[in-house]
Amino acid sequence: MIGSLAASLGFSANDPSFWMPLVFMGLFFAIIVAGTVLDGFDIGVGCLALIAPRDLSPRMLSLLSPWRDANEFWLFLGMGLFVAAFPNAWGSIMGRLYIPLCVLGLGVLLRSVSFELRLRAPVEMQSRWLTGFGVGSVMTALAHGFLLGELVVTYQTQPSYLWFSFFVGACVLAAYCLIGAAWLIMREGGELRARAVMWGRHAVRWTAAGSVGVSVVLAFANAGIFLKWSDGPQWPVVVALWVAILICFVSIEMCLQRMINQSYRTTALPFMLTLVIFLITLGGLGYSFFPYLVLDNITIWDAAASVSSLRLVLSATIIALPVALIFNIWVYRGMFGLSKPLTPPEYKP
Amino acid sequence: MMNSELWLAQIQFYLSLGFMSLFLVTELGLAWVLLFFKIGAHRSAGAAWTAAYRFWVRVFALAFILTFASSMPVLIQFGSLWPSLMNRIGEIAGPLLAAAIFSTFIFKSCFLGAMLFGHRHLSERVHTFIVFMVAVGVTISALWLVILQSWMQTPAGGSISDGQYRVTDWTGVIFNPSVGWYAGLLMLTSVLTVAFLLAGVSAIQSLHRPVGEGERLVFRTALIMGVTGVILQGLVGAGAGQALAPHQPAKAAATAAYWHSDSKPELLVFAWPDSATKSNRAAVALPYEASRWLGRDARGAPRGLDQFSGMSPPVAVTFWSFRIAVYIWILMAVVSVVSFFRARRHQFDPGGLSRGWRWILTGMTFSGWAMCLAGMSHTFFGLYPYAVNGTVTISEISGNVQGDVLLGGIVVHVLFYLVFLAGFFQLLGHIERYGVVPVARRRGRA
Repeated sequence: MIGSLAASLGFSANDPSFWMPLVFMGLFFAIIVAGTVLDGFDIGVGCLALIAPRDLSPRMLSLLSPWRDANEFWLFLGMGLFVAAFPNAWGSIMGRLYIPLCVLGLGVLLRSVSFELRLRAPVEMQSRWLTGFGVGSVMTALAHGFLLGELVVTYQTQPSYLWFSFFVGACVLAAYCLIGAAWLIMREGGELRARAVMWGRHAVRWTAAGSVGVSVVLAFANAGIFLKWSDGPQWPVVVALWVAILICFVSIEMCLQRMINQSYRTTALPFMLTLVIFLITLGGLGYSFFPYLVLDNITIWDAAASVSSLRLVLSATIIALPVALIFNIWVYRGMFGLSKPLTPPEYKP
Repeated sequence: MMNSELWLAQIQFYLSLGFMSLFLVTELGLAWVLLFFKIGAHRSAGAAWTAAYRFWVRVFALAFILTFASSMPVLIQFGSLWPSLMNRIGEIAGPLLAAAIFSTFIFKSCFLGAMLFGHRHLSERVHTFIVFMVAVGVTISALWLVILQSWMQTPAGGSISDGQYRVTDWTGVIFNPSVGWYAGLLMLTSVLTVAFLLAGVSAIQSLHRPVGEGERLVFRTALIMGVTGVILQGLVGAGAGQALAPHQPAKAAATAAYWHSDSKPELLVFAWPDSATKSNRAAVALPYEASRWLGRDARGAPRGLDQFSGMSPPVAVTFWSFRIAVYIWILMAVVSVVSFFRARRHQFDPGGLSRGWRWILTGMTFSGWAMCLAGMSHTFFGLYPYAVNGTVTISEISGNVQGDVLLGGIVVHVLFYLVFLAGFFQLLGHIERYGVVPVARRRGRA
């Protein structure tokens, strides 16, 4: 398969100008998936902190704090890898998206600064920085959704496409709130879990609408993608994926409904199911886009820098990759299950 | 893009870059100062150096987070305001940006958490080593950015063919003619910023209450840093001006407001350059030879602004940003030297200085920031109309964002930056008055 792909482009499969952009695309996709899931629950908890009662929202942010510094780096890594490996698509993609990118940049800035300043601020100021963190999270989520919508319709500027982008923005906000609520259900019991169940129930419907909407519009706005999905031996896979997404949404809905009425036990089920939904949706988007960075316009080989430049970036990546893997495994291994409480420091005489 | 939109885009980008740089120079200087405090704690008995460390590590943490967070809008605007730039210089800027981001990632993830939150869990030697690694990491990341920025000022080691730069020699790219000067200027600006920050905060602490041994050591460190910093900054600044004039003759001519090539170049202390009449009003000049600060043509005569056929930077901005930086430097020199000799008589106890002088030092707390902004304005606006000196112009790399959208963006960004500056000042004022309460963050536990 790789050989035929290479041959259709006119490269040989061992040619570095063929496989290096592929490697970077794989890395970039891995960073997007990791960032969406891991930064996703962070953004979701931040958005929910805006509507949470005053006594719960500080606890929600404290739950985030062990992973804050790792979560905030994903967007940075993704953009850095993109600008280094695919400089020729950088301008085409970013040049048309000034306003949503402004909102994204300011939202991320507000989130990072608010969290750390809240940690160090006197008690009177902490609630203001908490509001700042929430507002920044909402801005980030809306900007992510708007950018996704724009990417899917390839930057058309007619009003109907604009409304679609706003719709996707709202749905991505709901998706992040869902994964945030599911994570909170898993992490902490009591009133926080009960409220998270309610938030999750409200968010599930919008997330489902967004997931379906993005996939459908992507398929119908672009004939090439429709053909890619509907051609030949793909049919069972496509049906299986849609059925899986349906089962996941229905299961989340059922689980949350049950939790409202019956039990508040800790359960990782909503979080895992939301993860599966995210993975399927992102996987579908990635498969649809491959090998284009701008649909029907710029492929990854068009956009990639020259081989010598990619070689340098690859060597930097190889140095950074083990650090990244070890660090992330070490940081995120406590992410599942109930939150472990802090222990007082050991007494050293 | 129209001219006014081009200027709005530049103002927005340099505003974000300037905000990031304020905290970049603070964190760069503080990282090394904190290492100095930790080494002092090893070498002397008593908790004074550790007290100094614990106070200033809070400021370092704030500066670090503000630098890191504000680099996101800079990176985003790098793409949304100048979309064609990476098409032109992607071969060179790509690896350099990747190096900067990856080195930030490695040093931040490995060492910063341990430095800020792991002090009580680690032995003193290990913790000092970690502080050293954080300082090295911050310096390395800053240096990659300096390499990129100085390459855009004096592009070397690359050749441009059908609109795209290709690298001929990476050694030439990294060790381009101006990298040493810009790196030196950045380091010395951060030394001076931190020196006056330390001195100002110590001064205002002493105005509120008698200061302890830790604050006295901080004040002594600050004054010694200040005096050596101004001397070195003067030398490096003068050297940079003369060394870079042949590479950037238009900027040199604009800095000197040297309009006509046949007139005698003057060292202007004060003037108002008028681009309509191409003359300087209310000029006050020093009676010294000025032609070594200017670029020369083939016959060795200094080049005036009339030789660049309009491809020269805005004269008033370039002229005044340079002079504001020099005036600040003079003020810093006077204040630091006088403070040093006065405080020496009281063993560097800030309480020994007069109240008026301590208010002066407090007023100078953020003079390093002013010098940083003035220097950056001179560096970046002096490169106009080029983005890469001599080859790539700003108008050819700009996108097509509307003027009113850009203006709205600038306003919103300024509002956010003012909020964060207010937060930073509020926290600084709080810890100056009430001291530092340690915060905890445990990996995996909440």
